[in-house]
Amino acid sequence: MKLKLCFRVVITTLFIVSSHFVFAVEENVSVHVNDTYAEKKKSLTAIEYLQLMQKAYKELNYELLYLNSLQNQVEPKQLIHGVIGGQEIAYFCYLNGAMRESLQFAGKISYFEQGLQAYSLQAKHDRSVFANIANFDFVDGQSGYEYIILGKGRIAGKESIAIRMASKDEYRHSYIIWLDVNSYLPLRLDTLNKSNLILEQVIVVSLHITENVNPWLEKLSRQQLPQLLHIPQAAQQQAPQWQINWLPTGFKVVKNNQHKLVMYKNEPVSYIMLTDGIVSVSIYISAKKITLDEKQKIIQRGATVLYTYQNNDIEVNVVGDIPVVTAKRLIESVAKVD
Amino acid sequence: MQTDNEQLSALIDNEVVDKPLVDELIIDKMQQTKFARYHLIGDVMRDEVAEPLIDIDISEKVMAAIKAQAPSAEVTKLDTAVNKMPSAKRTNIVSLMHRFGQYAIAASVAGVVVVTTLMTSPSVVENNDTGLEVLSTVPLGGAVTPVSLQANNSKSKQALKEHNERLEALLKDHQLQLQLQP
Repeated sequence: MKLKLCFRVVITTLFIVSSHFVFAVEENVSVHVNDTYAEKKKSLTAIEYLQLMQKAYKELNYELLYLNSLQNQVEPKQLIHGVIGGQEIAYFCYLNGAMRESLQFAGKISYFEQGLQAYSLQAKHDRSVFANIANFDFVDGQSGYEYIILGKGRIAGKESIAIRMASKDEYRHSYIIWLDVNSYLPLRLDTLNKSNLILEQVIVVSLHITENVNPWLEKLSRQQLPQLLHIPQAAQQQAPQWQINWLPTGFKVVKNNQHKLVMYKNEPVSYIMLTDGIVSVSIYISAKKITLDEKQKIIQRGATVLYTYQNNDIEVNVVGDIPVVTAKRLIESVAKVD
Repeated sequence: MQTDNEQLSALIDNEVVDKPLVDELIIDKMQQTKFARYHLIGDVMRDEVAEPLIDIDISEKVMAAIKAQAPSAEVTKLDTAVNKMPSAKRTNIVSLMHRFGQYAIAASVAGVVVVTTLMTSPSVVENNDTGLEVLSTVPLGGAVTPVSLQANNSKSKQALKEHNERLEALLKDHQLQLQLQP
């Protein structure tokens, strides 16, 4: 009996020692890997990482499965990107519910939805999931944002690095961008408000990079695109009637025109668009149609704000991914052109 | 006539080779077509005819008949309307209005609908009014109080609905303008 107990103790000790030994070996290996790794990547600054991310997002052949979440709602989506003959092609699809797909290729974007006729629009801008950060001029953007490497983590099974893109003032949201340290592709994007609450989040769950372009994209690129829709252009000949006397740092006005709301009784509106490269803000100035109980009304969803302000016979609406305070100041600065 | 046909038939069947009859056939066009037709009938009966040989082209006759009727007013009107259609941009705009919901969804503003329902039924929001998460969905500035709600209810449900429709249109237009950036 005693012998048996002794034997058991010996066995247990042996086991413990051996497992320690295994752990020790593993630690050594990982330390070694990290060392070479650090040497290789130590020189990269946050901006360099971000610029590599932009290049990868545009030039690689990949498939992303990602979740888009805001306010407790999660929407799984798919993006397949490729380069055919030097031209980018991107296929986008909602994975749940009714089939909703789009294809962006050769300066056009086509929309396909179950039960509806497909159509195309002229599209110079990439509007895919990470497009806003993939097209941003990070060097120019330093006037409004600061870039800080936060640390490392693991997203979608890949080792990734987190970079905070912090707003220098209270007039815009901040972002945390996670990217794959090997391919530099973006893996996660958090939109944060001033108090660091996550307003919106895009998180990749599966990343698949291929040497050659996806055969499905190749097939799509040869397909005839649906009919191109002509959207009534804004009346160019009319001079702007309204202006804004205040702009947040880094923003500039890119549009100032009169056009009609095709989706709402063709109502004429005066329109101003401003952008800082990451977010675009629309300002609508129109005659007051329906009087609200309050002078102003704010709707927020995720990072998007819709601020309505009524004064006498005028109604001003501001739409964009900006904090409420920015929308408020913008509205206060709206003035009639002399 | 009947005797002619008989003679012709005989000629075809190589029963009679009558020189005046052949001469007559060469001159008479009607007899020629008959001759051809009889041959064709014979060929068909013997199953010797090759497909393309049967060339019964009635289209010319139909076209001629249509031409005769062409001055009929309605027909021409319809025709011009159809011709105009592809060039008119107006049709495009109308269809865009119908399809715009689709565009907006594709542009990932699907959430707008949720916003609208929150606005039209603030009482539900009131009950949930505990967490920060939910709070941020509530219209912030001048949040609707229960009192103003009751006063509002009968007065302008229609107006509110219309207002929401307009807001939705603004959000969609915002997405459209993003797409059309210079």
